[in-house]
Amino acid sequence: MNNELIYVYCISSTPVTLDLGSIHEGLKCILFQGYYIIVKNVSPDEFSEENLKKKFADLSWIDKNARDHIRVISQIMKSSTVIPFKFGTIFKSEENLGKFISDYSDSLRENLINIEGKEEWSVKIYFDRKVLNEQIAEHSETVLNIEQQILESSPGKAFLLKKKKAELIEKEVEKLIKSCGQTCYDEFKNISELSRINNLLPKELTERNDDMILNVSFFIKKQRVADFVGTVDLLQGKFKNIGFDIDVSGPWPPFSFISIKERFCNN
Amino acid sequence: MQENVIDQSKDITILEILDRVLNKGVVLTGDIVISVADIDLVYLGVKLLLSSVETMQKNKLNTVKPSLQIK
Repeated sequence: MNNELIYVYCISSTPVTLDLGSIHEGLKCILFQGYYIIVKNVSPDEFSEENLKKKFADLSWIDKNARDHIRVISQIMKSSTVIPFKFGTIFKSEENLGKFISDYSDSLRENLINIEGKEEWSVKIYFDRKVLNEQIAEHSETVLNIEQQILESSPGKAFLLKKKKAELIEKEVEKLIKSCGQTCYDEFKNISELSRINNLLPKELTERNDDMILNVSFFIKKQRVADFVGTVDLLQGKFKNIGFDIDVSGPWPPFSFISIKERFCNN
Repeated sequence: MQENVIDQSKDITILEILDRVLNKGVVLTGDIVISVADIDLVYLGVKLLLSSVETMQKNKLNTVKPSLQIK
């Protein structure tokens, strides 16, 4: 097999012990100008430009390789500060990798300083419209008042009042979504150093029955993570019974807080 | 030490992973790297959808077939 391309996982600030088990066979750590780069030699049969494009059409390949990408980086992150690379970044030669490191040395140093001692956490908030509707119908005084009026009204007036009731509930739902989302965001932001709001993902992709209303990454100092987890529990307790679910995962490698996005040419 | 995502990776959906690793981190393009630039979650999402639609249709066909045989 022809192993001449270099797949890059991440850059580490300190030497890395690679005892990642048999699935990560072939990993190595290259030292360039004080940076430890975790790489694997890969074959053009799988990772040449043309073949990589084909592989990206194969969902089972993506599933396996994206999981491996995150597993390797997460493992290294346990003992070191890491700059993660986008999934599927392959250098054509060690010389090219060396050139990148040397040209971007200052930026890499700056990124390492910025991310040191911090963790990326993902917060996705979902809401169940049915539960929230029921809660409002049962507890909102305005809605309960209309309900009473409907019972006492002629069929014609009741019809109009029912319409008004539905509108009121809808308004209340929107109000609660905004206030829950904002409260959670503000609380988490207070604990964090940085935050990035990501795109909402549709139900078809999340495969959940409820709707995503917020998708944010927070960058949190390690010593404040316990505060963050406590706040998650607190807010989850506060909002769960009215149909909100705060889905938290982490710590992730700092993918959302790296600022090296460049078009890089050899000349 | 706190467990990180790989320790709970059974519970982490591929969507959650792709939401991070596709266009975040060090993102390089150009002639010294090979990287698939125009792939994002929306593109993959469409593919995921199509594949789940295919699965659904297959399942439908599977459930329809026996009733056709009964006729």
